[in-house]
Amino acid sequence: MGTILQTKDLTKKFGDFTANDKINLTVEEGEIKAIVGENGAGKSTLMNMLYRQLEPTSGEIYLRGQPIEFNSPRDAIQHGIGMVHQHFMLVPSFKVYENILLGTELAHDKLRFLVDHKKEQQECAELIKRYGFDLDVNEVVENLSVGQQQKIEILKMLYRNVDILILDEPTSVLTPQEVDELLLQLKELKAQGKTIILITHKLREVMQVSDSVTVIKKGQIIGNVKTSETNEAELAQMMVGRKVLLTVQNDHIGQESPEVIYTVNDLTTNNTYGNIVVDHVSFEIKKGEIYGIAGVEGNGQSELVKLLSGMMEATGGTVHYKGEEITNLWADELRKLGIAIIPEDRYAQGLCKEMSLSANSIAGSTTSDAFKKNGIFDFKRIRQHCQELIDHYQIRIAEFEGNVSQLSGGNAQKLIIAREMNRQPDLLIASQPTRGVDIGAIEFIHQQILDFRNSGGAVLLISSELSEVMSLSDRIGVMYKGKILGEVDPLETSETEIGLLMAGTIPQEAVVYEK
Amino acid sequence: MKSNETLRNILNSVLPVLLALLIGAILILAIGENPLEAYGIMFGKSLFTLRGLTNTLHAAGPLLLTGAAIAITFRAGLFNMGVEGQLLIGGFMAGLVGAYLHIGNPLLHKLVAFAVGASVGVLFALIPALLRAYFRVDEMVVTLTLNYVMMTILEYLSSGPFRDQGAGYVTTPTIDSSAMFTRFGSTRLTPFFLIALLLFGILWFLNTKTEFGYKIEAIGKNPEFSEATGLRVRKSIIMLILVSGAIAGFAGAGHMMSQEYKYTLSFSGVTGLGWDGMLVSLLGSHSPLGIIISSIFYSALKTGADNINMYTSIPKEIVAVIEGIIILFLSIRFLNERFGLLEKLSKKKGEKNEPAL
Repeated sequence: MGTILQTKDLTKKFGDFTANDKINLTVEEGEIKAIVGENGAGKSTLMNMLYRQLEPTSGEIYLRGQPIEFNSPRDAIQHGIGMVHQHFMLVPSFKVYENILLGTELAHDKLRFLVDHKKEQQECAELIKRYGFDLDVNEVVENLSVGQQQKIEILKMLYRNVDILILDEPTSVLTPQEVDELLLQLKELKAQGKTIILITHKLREVMQVSDSVTVIKKGQIIGNVKTSETNEAELAQMMVGRKVLLTVQNDHIGQESPEVIYTVNDLTTNNTYGNIVVDHVSFEIKKGEIYGIAGVEGNGQSELVKLLSGMMEATGGTVHYKGEEITNLWADELRKLGIAIIPEDRYAQGLCKEMSLSANSIAGSTTSDAFKKNGIFDFKRIRQHCQELIDHYQIRIAEFEGNVSQLSGGNAQKLIIAREMNRQPDLLIASQPTRGVDIGAIEFIHQQILDFRNSGGAVLLISSELSEVMSLSDRIGVMYKGKILGEVDPLETSETEIGLLMAGTIPQEAVVYEK
Repeated sequence: MKSNETLRNILNSVLPVLLALLIGAILILAIGENPLEAYGIMFGKSLFTLRGLTNTLHAAGPLLLTGAAIAITFRAGLFNMGVEGQLLIGGFMAGLVGAYLHIGNPLLHKLVAFAVGASVGVLFALIPALLRAYFRVDEMVVTLTLNYVMMTILEYLSSGPFRDQGAGYVTTPTIDSSAMFTRFGSTRLTPFFLIALLLFGILWFLNTKTEFGYKIEAIGKNPEFSEATGLRVRKSIIMLILVSGAIAGFAGAGHMMSQEYKYTLSFSGVTGLGWDGMLVSLLGSHSPLGIIISSIFYSALKTGADNINMYTSIPKEIVAVIEGIIILFLSIRFLNERFGLLEKLSKKKGEKNEPAL
């Protein structure tokens, strides 16, 4: 087998910023090539150039030794390169076969202006059978699970006879079982002669399925290795540029403190369309305990966090903290009581990008007198406070007087954590605390959370990264369709068991919540 | 980074003015007059003579406040376009207080008139504020259209129930002398200008040194962040529109007691003080210092128009042309601020212009 796809000095610049710097990538025919790198390393930019959604600033792409020039994704598909995006591009109200054939409808033999649905269904059924997928062509897409929708995206490309399939972070929306299924499917496609390029930052999957790995860092390729000759730790080190602990040391001390500090009881709310999104959720957290909430994204976790952090109103149920009812209190009132909040989306809710570092460092405390003198802001004290946070939490900044927009994702998140933890809270609500931050910062953030727990703090951890919830939590509640379906002990459970709960099935061993 | 931004802001404001003056100069040349001489007379007479300068400052008083009324909402990402209507009702009601309540005590009379003017401004602003906060009705549309409703209502009131029957034109009765501001010497300047300046200073202080200003900035720049940090966004939006209405009503009352003394159909001038305030605020980049400079510049332009008429053969309409051109340039900037016009345009262009492989 020879080289199927090659890039030569491929470069993409956005203004002064070089997203891809002279990338020389080689993909062999019939292999599964993993491209790994931290968020913002330039993986997606590279793929978007191969798929012609972005035009390279300079450099060439060779397909089977021939220089190619695509003008559009359609062009790329015709040349045999197909891409499955992280966010699906499907018509929810259409059936499976209609989505697969969207844009290439089969005309009726005699009446050319009509679509031959029968023929379409037949062809799709054959396609599904040929590649060993498990799908009903007549199912309406909106009724399908995320994993099944992803299969349609893959089938769309296979129908168009692509030889190279690019998948951009395909597993981020899947349950563990669906991930396993997808990886098997990819191996099957490889066996049928397809070449697969897998973009991911999950090293476990890379080790499981790929043949070779290319590591990208800051827009440059810093390593090409055979998967069989490397390991997760080495790849992580290449990605970050230093040795990192993939999992922090969690002793699970779980201080057998009987004191319950936070009780959520039957909490319920509707979204703006009137649908119940948080459905009678109950749990309690003790001092010195991390309570994790796992689940596939979109099962009510975001809304639960909003409810608990004063951004959404509950229609039913109560929240008690230290024996006091705090249901539907405002965010600043919660903070005054000693609750630290790390919101889900750091730039939408956690920080204001266009405001200064020091203005952001007092967010949530502006109603208190801590930073005022006679009701007027004491800017000297505020600056001092901000400088203390920066020093103590080692936040890397470019300009003290500048805005938050100068910070990298990891440092922005550190600023939020610094601000929240500096208030000496007793409870921490952390939602997706490491989303989109580099591995180095993940290590730091995990350590902060564990240190806080070890010093007697209570933590509510909501994350869609199952490994994060598993390694940090003392107890885990799994959310499905707005409910906490079951509660498990991370030391005794398996990914399989949690996976089943995430998919809505209640395994017998799991402790099922009364509700 | 910060100083760069300030520089750009200044350039953003100065450039439209210079361009407008340039185009005006071409028109003056076409008439056969010397533009430098014309501009020299216009600004010389309105800024560098005692009489001209005091006239200019006198006219800048209400503009300072309407500009502030607009800027305060603008910074919070809100658009109170109803300053004109709020100013009219404020002025009208202050006029009624001045003419019908014979309080006698000059200080008390003016205080009552100010209080009434500001209060009706608030009440009138309550409509868009509540619609916006509770039903998410775009406040720009509501405030804009309500101006015309208010104009029509006041036209009816001043030509019907409250018409001064002795006058040969539509007007309310003249206010008592106890409600009139006395002028400084032979100038037209009154203490109202100082009051306006003081009020402006207080707003500036609140804006930069207190929680109030933090709120405005945070809500304007990121409402979701504001909500997440516990700022009551809905309450703040209501409060801000009401404060804006109060300032506008106050400005109307001041204009009544320092300049007009009665409500006529041309109470707030040809373009209208509320609309002028919008221009002033945009021209001053919604910053306090900017608004002070732009309100004085703008009123110099207006007082200068009379001088141009008097000392040259150029029709005074040239000033209206210049004003119009400034508005045109500023509205481009406004559209850009609100809808990211330039960004969208340059993005499209950028995509096309990129060199092919």
